[in-house]
Parts: sequence; C-alpha cells; structure tokens
Amino acid sequence: MVSVVLLLAGFAGTALGQTPGVDLPIRIGALLPAVPESGGAPFDFAVAEAARLAAGMAADEFGFNSEILGLDFALLTEHAADTEALLEAAGRLIDEEGVFALLGGFGTEQALALSALAEERQIPFLNIGASSDSLRNEACSRFTFHFAPSDAMYLDALVGWFVRAGFRRWFFVHEDDPERESQYRRTTWSIRNRHFGAREVGRIALAPGTSDFGRAINAARRNDAEVILLLLEPEAQLAFLEQYETAGLEAQVTGFPDLGAQTRAFFLASRDAALKAGSGFRSTAWEATLDAYGARELNARFLGSFGSPMEYSAWAVLQAVKVLFEAATFGGLLEGEEVVAYLESSTSVFDVYKGIGISFRPWDHQLRQSIYLVDIRPEAEGPRDAVLLVGELPAIYMPRTDPVERLDQIGDTERESKCRF
Amino acid sequence: MNRLPRSTCSAMTILALLLVGSLALAQDNYHVFISNEYGADISVLSGATNEIVGTITISGRPGDVRPRGMALSPDGKTVYVSISDFLPLRETLEDKVTAIDIATNEILTEIRAGGNPERVAVSPDGSRLWASLEAIAEGGAYDAVTGEELATFRIGIEPEGVAVSPDGRWVYLTAETTHTVAVIDAQELTTVKHFLVSNRPRVVVFSRDGSRAYVSGEIGGSVSVVDVSQHAVIGTAVMGLDSRPVGMALSPEGDHLYVAGGGTSAIYVIDTESLEVIKVIREQMGRRPWDVAVSPDGSTLYTSNGLSDSVSIIDTECLCVIDNISVGRGPHSIVIGVLPNAE
Repeated sequence: MVSVVLLLAGFAGTALGQTPGVDLPIRIGALLPAVPESGGAPFDFAVAEAARLAAGMAADEFGFNSEILGLDFALLTEHAADTEALLEAAGRLIDEEGVFALLGGFGTEQALALSALAEERQIPFLNIGASSDSLRNEACSRFTFHFAPSDAMYLDALVGWFVRAGFRRWFFVHEDDPERESQYRRTTWSIRNRHFGAREVGRIALAPGTSDFGRAINAARRNDAEVILLLLEPEAQLAFLEQYETAGLEAQVTGFPDLGAQTRAFFLASRDAALKAGSGFRSTAWEATLDAYGARELNARFLGSFGSPMEYSAWAVLQAVKVLFEAATFGGLLEGEEVVAYLESSTSVFDVYKGIGISFRPWDHQLRQSIYLVDIRPEAEGPRDAVLLVGELPAIYMPRTDPVERLDQIGDTERESKCRF
Repeated sequence: MNRLPRSTCSAMTILALLLVGSLALAQDNYHVFISNEYGADISVLSGATNEIVGTITISGRPGDVRPRGMALSPDGKTVYVSISDFLPLRETLEDKVTAIDIATNEILTEIRAGGNPERVAVSPDGSRLWASLEAIAEGGAYDAVTGEELATFRIGIEPEGVAVSPDGRWVYLTAETTHTVAVIDAQELTTVKHFLVSNRPRVVVFSRDGSRAYVSGEIGGSVSVVDVSQHAVIGTAVMGLDSRPVGMALSPEGDHLYVAGGGTSAIYVIDTESLEVIKVIREQMGRRPWDVAVSPDGSTLYTSNGLSDSVSIIDTECLCVIDNISVGRGPHSIVIGVLPNAE
C-alpha cells in the first residue's frame, strides 16, 4: 500500500514563488524494508525502523524546502517484505504515482531487481542498501547510482586502518558463498596491492549457518594471526566472538559491516557477547556522534525527533532524497536520461554532511565518500554512547591535494572496474 | 597566549567605536574583535600594534557557552554577539544576543533569541537586530533597545548568514541545508522570496552601494553573486570543489572580495568585476580561517583561525601573511571597530 508520507500542494503563484527550473511535481519513490514484528531479528528491525523514521524526516524537511521554494513535492514510500512485492510496488510508484526516481535496494537481490527495473523504465535508481561489488562491476547499470559504499570501499578502509596500526597477519573467516568469497578475494587483493608488509596467514570457509567456530579459532591460533576478519552475517559474527572470547586469543577481531552490523543494537550485542574481543574496531558509513561538517546539527535533529541515534540506513534515506531533490531543483530535471546525466556529471557536487562536496564516480556510479572507524565502548550504557568515533578514511582535511583523488583512495579505481555502461 | 586579565581589560582606554564603512579614517586607530567559540570570550586586538589589548568574557563556562557571530552598532559603541551552546536542539537560556559596551566591556542588555542564534546583523540605523536561528529554521527580528521580538521568519533548514542591505530595506538570511537565501522586507517584516544559491551557503555580504550581494557556498566551492534589485543570482565565482568558502569581506573600493577558505586554511582573493580568483593566500596561514575582516583603509586583512587559535594578519599589497597572533580558543567571527579620535 502506498503511504504518502507528506504531500505538499504547490505554492507557485504566491509571493514566495521563484527560482528552481522545475514546474512539475517532484515525486520520489522509496522502497524500504518492512519493519519486522517485535521479536524478529533485532538488527533487521534496527535497519528498517531507522529507514522508516528517516523517510518521515525527509518528507518533513524536503516538504519544508519545497514549500518555501514554491514546489510540489512528495516522498512516496513502500515497505516490501520480498523482491516480488518490491517490484510490484516499484512499478506502481512509477506508473500510478509518477515518481521520477527510486531509492532502496536493501540487499543484493533487491538492488539487482530494482536496478533492472530502473533500466527498463529509464528512471534513476539510488541503491542505498547493497554493498556488493558485483552491482558496481559486471551487473552495473547506467540508471543505477550507488549511495551505499561498496564492499571494496569498506574493505580497503578496514585494511588501511589495521595495517597502519601494526596488525599485519590477517586471518579470514568467511561464509562459503559467492558474495563472501568475493569479499575475501577483494580484501586479499587490497593487502597485496595497496598495503605492502601485510599478508594473509590463513582462511577458513564455513557453510552458512555454522554455529561452531572452534575449527576457525584454532586455525587462527595456529597461524599466529594478528587480526581476524569475519566475513559473516551479523548473528554469526556474534556467535564467533562469544566463542573466541572463551578461547582467550589476543588477535583483534573485526567484521564486515553488513547493514545490521552497523547498528547500535549490533554494537551493544557485540560488547555483550564478548567484552574484550567484541569491543573492538568497526567500520561504518555513518556515525551518529559525528560532530563536524554540519553533522552535529543533522544528528541532533534526528535524535531530537525520534529519541534514537541516527543509524546508517536513516542517513542514507535522508541523503538519497536530498541528492534527488537537488537534481530536480538545481538541475531543473525530472526526465530519466537528464537526471542520470546530471548525477554522473563531474560538475555535480552533493553535500551529504561528510564535510566535502562529493560526486559519483563516472566509471561505476559509486558515490565517493569517507568511511568511519568506531571503537565499541566496553562501558557503554546504551545506544547513545555505544561507540567512540576514532577515524575517517580517507581523511578529507588535506589541503592542497585533489579532493576527488583523495576520496578515490578507497574502492575500485577506473582501471580495476569491470563496469561498462 | 596573549590574553590580559579582566581587570586589565576593564582599564582599557577604548572610548567608543564608529562604524567601519561610514568613515574616512586614519590607518591604525581601530580594534579588531574576535569571538572565541570554545573560550567563551572575545579577544580585542589593536590595529596599531597588532597586540591583544583586552579580552571580554562572555561566560565563565567555556566549552558550554558559545559566542559566534558578531556585529557592531552603527555608532560603534556596542558589539552584538550571538550566543548559544554546543547542543543544537537544547533550548537554553544561553540562546541570546548580547550587547556589550565597548568602553566598559560590560553587558548592556541580553536579548532572548531562542533557537541557537548563530550570526547577527544590525540595521543601518541601529534600531533593529537580526539573528539566524539555526536550530529552528527561522530568522528573528528584534528591537535593539527594548529587546522585543518583532517577528520571526521561516528561512530554511539551518539558517546561518545574515546581513542587512546598506539602505536598510532588505535582510538576507542563508539556509545551509536548503541552499537558499531568504529575502525579508525589513520595513514590512514580510518574506519576499527564497532563491537557490551555491551548495551550503554560509555567509552573505552586501556591496557598499547595495546593488550586489555575495553568498559563500562552502560545499559548492563558490560565491554566488546576487543582483539585489531582482534578488536573483547573476553570476558565480568558482573557487574549486575543495575551497570551502565561509566568511567574506569586501575591500573598501569593492573591487576585491576576500574569502576565508575554512578547512583549506587559505584566503581566496576574488576580482569582483571578472569574478576570477586572482590569488590564493596559503603560506603561513593559520588553520581553518572561518572569517575575514578588512582594515578601514583596506591595507590589512585579519582572519579568525578556528583550529590554530590565532589571527593571521595579511598585507593586501603583497597579499601575504605578515604576522600571526595568538588569541582565544576557537576563533569564529571577526569584526573591526574604529576609534572615534581617528577622524
């Protein structure tokens, strides 16, 4: 069912009417995950609920902006439980509601489906929830733009931090499926090609759903690992940490930041599962305590409105709406091809509260952006103080260096990209 | 750090100050005021000696109370400071505009301005104050004498820059997140229009004749040039993606616009006719210049450097840094006031 979060009638013709070169209604479609019933997976709930709240905030803020600019704007949201329902909802948003762009893609399967639909219908799609490198390479599409950081960006950032901190002997624990295998291969590529001095000392591939990690822990011990990277589902990461803590190893443990593994609920669960090993470093695409670049005000607005810190999924929804809204207002564009051209132009710069004007990489449509490193606090009392923000990669304050080259230090470069539009 | 005790400050022989823009002045008889957002005070720098000659305490709770934007009254006797805290949404008694008597360093009045006032401007006749209320997406107009709130206006998300046109007719307020300027009719107290400018607009300044306004766009890396008769952007000075323009000041002749490059630790010099960047001053600059002011004779620039707790002094002839002076913690804004015996 379509939920019109906010629909503001146009104010054109009033004294305030002016400016943006778009006369048609600005309608954006958001395909968000269904919020699970209570008692379901806590991290899925955190992701979906934050996205839902952010959609309301986006409707309010951009409704306000539209009103003062004399524009007609609506953010139309759909919550779908599976891919079939998602595609049905997306089609309805395009055909019946006249949305000029879609955002969503919580998971590779949904992102792939929406990407294909966007290509078929020639409208832009902003992927805000799927990090899979395949979407940016073999399965890339000219109508798809990746707001979510890629696997490669997260992994390059993680490797960079740990290697610079002196952790050079890497051990991998990954689920035996193509996506985790791809993440493993990308990490070892990064170690070999970008971080000389570090090396892989071993890996173990486990069947998805494995709950006994004794073999993996023993292998890490035998190989004298300094850092263990878990390429596992969030729940499996917690199970590993619990068993690892008991085993008493000293190696650092971190995990791939799936959406669920970037939530406050996960950080606290990690600390609770393993006070020492589970209180280590994690990477995120957004941090609710980020206090610079206007993020202080953004985070405060979200916290003030909903009483909970802004999770990545909330930030992504809000900023994706912002980018599309600005394409319509600054660019005066609502036609698919024109919006795509605007988004991929090197002169189009967006402000997503990360302190630097950012753009999409022309070769794969990946949004350039920093990744944050947080340290889970053993003494945390709740979601608000769950982590300490300790790093940003790439660091954006490096005067007299090219900002685009700076941001392209993580992720696949044009030379490595397999995307062909 | 060159800071004098308060007792010394009180003994300062600052008599009164006159509005910079309205006078032909001797070169050295002015003082530079720098708001220190982390120190909760204002440093006073002598234009004659380039030495700190006083510190005005805003609050005894540095790190909690946050002075930022400043403006001088037309008669030069009063400096207005917008004061808030570091918690954007917390409504506290700190949200106010404080008027300080320059002669005595005493607080004359405190005007309630709820909603995290970030910057402040004064009407040319000195009767009204205007504040950007960052937390509530509004701008406020206040009677400068009684402190009465005259009106509030919806501005856009995260209002910041505020300026009154030289003829007192228009007030421009920027909205950082909405990327707009709101135009207020200062006499009617009504909103005339909103228009888009560069990405994340910070500060707005009017030209002396009031025909143009300049709006810095921090993330856009540019300055939007506005035709005030139409309230419309007629040009853009492009400074580059990572130039981070924030504070601005015009030379007395209006031919140069000096732009503080914030996180780039640079000052950009723009030719206002060609809108070309003619010089980028980087060497020996303090870190994160957030604001810039020009001496009355146009010979010297002063920048408030937020991350190095300093003021850089720039000779406009060579466009080079000639000195760096330690001030308070977290310099934010900077204004210049001229001593009356300079005439």
